[in-house]
Amino acid sequence: MGTEVYRRTRRMILNRVLIAPFIVMMLVCGTLVYHFATSLRHQVTAKLVRIVDGHRRIIEQFLDERIQDLQFVAGSVSYEELTREGEIDRALKRLQATSQAFLDLGVFNETGIHDAYAGPYTDLVGKNYAEARWFQEVQDKAVYVSDVFLGFRNIPHFVIVVRRQEGTRSWFLRATIDSLFFNDLVGSVRVGRTGEAYLVNRDGIFETPRRSGGGLMEPDPDYPTYRADDREALSFSAPDRSGERYVYATGRLRQTGWLLVVRQEADEAYGPLTRAVWIAVGLIVVGGGIVVFTAFVLASGLANRLRIADLEKQEMGTQLIMAGRLAEVGEMSAGVAHEINNPLQVMKSEYTLIQEILKDAERAGGMPTTEDLRQIRESVEEINQQIDRCKEITQGLLKFARKTEPTIQPIDLPSFVHEVASMVEHGAFLENIRIVEKSQHGLEPVESDPAQLQQVFLNLLNNAIYALKGRENAEIRITVGKEDGYATVAVADNGCGIPPENLEKIFLPFFTTKPVGQGTGLGLSTCYGIVEKLGGRIAVSSELNVGSVFTVYLPLAGPPEEVRHEAKLTERRGDTR
Amino acid sequence: MSKMRLLLVDDEERFLATTRILLEKRGVETLTATNGSDALALLDEKPIDVVILDVKMPGMDGVEVLRRIKQKHPLVEVIMLTGHGSVESAVEGLKLGAFDYVMKPTDIPDLLAKAEEAHAKKQSMEEKIRRAKVEKIISHPMAVFGKDKEDED
Repeated sequence: MGTEVYRRTRRMILNRVLIAPFIVMMLVCGTLVYHFATSLRHQVTAKLVRIVDGHRRIIEQFLDERIQDLQFVAGSVSYEELTREGEIDRALKRLQATSQAFLDLGVFNETGIHDAYAGPYTDLVGKNYAEARWFQEVQDKAVYVSDVFLGFRNIPHFVIVVRRQEGTRSWFLRATIDSLFFNDLVGSVRVGRTGEAYLVNRDGIFETPRRSGGGLMEPDPDYPTYRADDREALSFSAPDRSGERYVYATGRLRQTGWLLVVRQEADEAYGPLTRAVWIAVGLIVVGGGIVVFTAFVLASGLANRLRIADLEKQEMGTQLIMAGRLAEVGEMSAGVAHEINNPLQVMKSEYTLIQEILKDAERAGGMPTTEDLRQIRESVEEINQQIDRCKEITQGLLKFARKTEPTIQPIDLPSFVHEVASMVEHGAFLENIRIVEKSQHGLEPVESDPAQLQQVFLNLLNNAIYALKGRENAEIRITVGKEDGYATVAVADNGCGIPPENLEKIFLPFFTTKPVGQGTGLGLSTCYGIVEKLGGRIAVSSELNVGSVFTVYLPLAGPPEEVRHEAKLTERRGDTR
Repeated sequence: MSKMRLLLVDDEERFLATTRILLEKRGVETLTATNGSDALALLDEKPIDVVILDVKMPGMDGVEVLRRIKQKHPLVEVIMLTGHGSVESAVEGLKLGAFDYVMKPTDIPDLLAKAEEAHAKKQSMEEKIRRAKVEKIISHPMAVFGKDKEDED
């Protein structure tokens, strides 16, 4: 599998690990913010509406009281009594006793003539008010309340007029009321930093000054954006002329139709919401960062573990194939060896016979020349040598095929390995190769076959020396250790290494990279056979031009039972001799 | 030491012939057989000390022949000759009482040496038996009669 696959796997894991928490986090934050926003909006509008309701009630009550005061005066005296000298002054005094807001008091007849007056502007008496707006308005109604105006006095005030029906004729009682009372009441409303309250009349004219701009009797530029209901307090949100968004609550005054407006900048009112959103965004960023980081670490770890597992599987696969092939070759080798051994035995006999005949003939002097004899003997000798060579090969094959029996005894691996290493030390020294031995402490002896193990280690060491020929800093590192119930001997060299395509063939009989005549190709296959027979295994790892490591694993518990059994029997054979 | 009488059993006729010549030259009386049943027949007919027996033969295999030899002639020593490194059959042979086993190819002098060892062992066994018999006769002279025949090969 290529690295691309792992990268893809990692990305896949990453996506899955990330998407779920991300969705959950977004949902949680989104829901929280939504609910918080709803609740906050509710709270803000409720607060503004509450203020509107409360203040509207106070102002309405104030107006009601003043109207009642006036109606009481108008109802308790007749026109004649009131226009009598000094009577109106007493009436004003009585009114002022109930409320300081009464500035003056005047009486008007049907035609709008100012008949009597009490207050600071006595010169108003006698004037005709028939054309005045209030006079016309009050004709139909019993009571009239004017808008606020500055008038001659240059203080904000308004008038209340009540109509009195006396028999067939009617007359009017008018009182001027100081509107400072509202100014104070409405002006004192403060909500946060930007929250304010003010009154506007039906034409959008300020009845009280507005703190954020807008003087008394000036038109309110934002009036068209207002929404209002004649009975209920309303809340809405709208931008003002400069684009600043406000949250409003409005309520209309029953008597005058003025609108009580309470408003606050949306930015301030919803400040906590903005903060909450920022906190949520922060949480998402920080939490997301943590999740991404964790997911990345997790995914990388997982992908890595997957890769290692794959490598192990691959290696195991190779080893299985190798083992299978080796088993087949082993069977075949045993057959081949047997078939060769029989004719070899015949040749051996023939050789012995020829030798003896020659000897006899020589002794009898029956042979022509000694030169001929020498040649015959030489070639006969050659036959014998060739037979021995064949024998070595077949026996090597048989060893590989695990057909020879071991002799089991306890072996102290470190000193045993040292002994074997000292056998090749001289050869290594000549090649300028350093041999480093290292062993783990406290290793118990291993039950195994020393003669066969010697062959195994000699073979591995000789291979290492061969791989290190002509190399700089050549080094063979022998490490004796223990791992999962196995004693391990690793022979590592920093030599030429084994190409991957050869790696799975090295244990096959007759596989060799050495020039013809330098190796039979049986060394490693024999090692393999021996170690398998002893219940262990050989592992190899190699990198081209970096070096190779051959690790021999021997069971600490000794070889399998049947091997020991055979070994015991063969030992007994020795006793019977 | 009396002369050794040897029986060579192998399916390879040329090997039999050549080895026989070699052994006879060394003064060993040698008989040959190319299969198991011939060998068993020869053992019944003639006095033989040591049998060299190939493990793998057509027909009755070496291990079976060995079993029968040991049944009928327990004192005869058998050396197993194997071309196969088959430990299994060698172990089987040793269990059944073979003297030793030799891997093919082997040098004829070595083979002969091993045969002589086997012969020596057989002779010492026979000597022991003889001595035991003599002691028996000395202690119970009358026991000689009636039982004597059974001990003969």
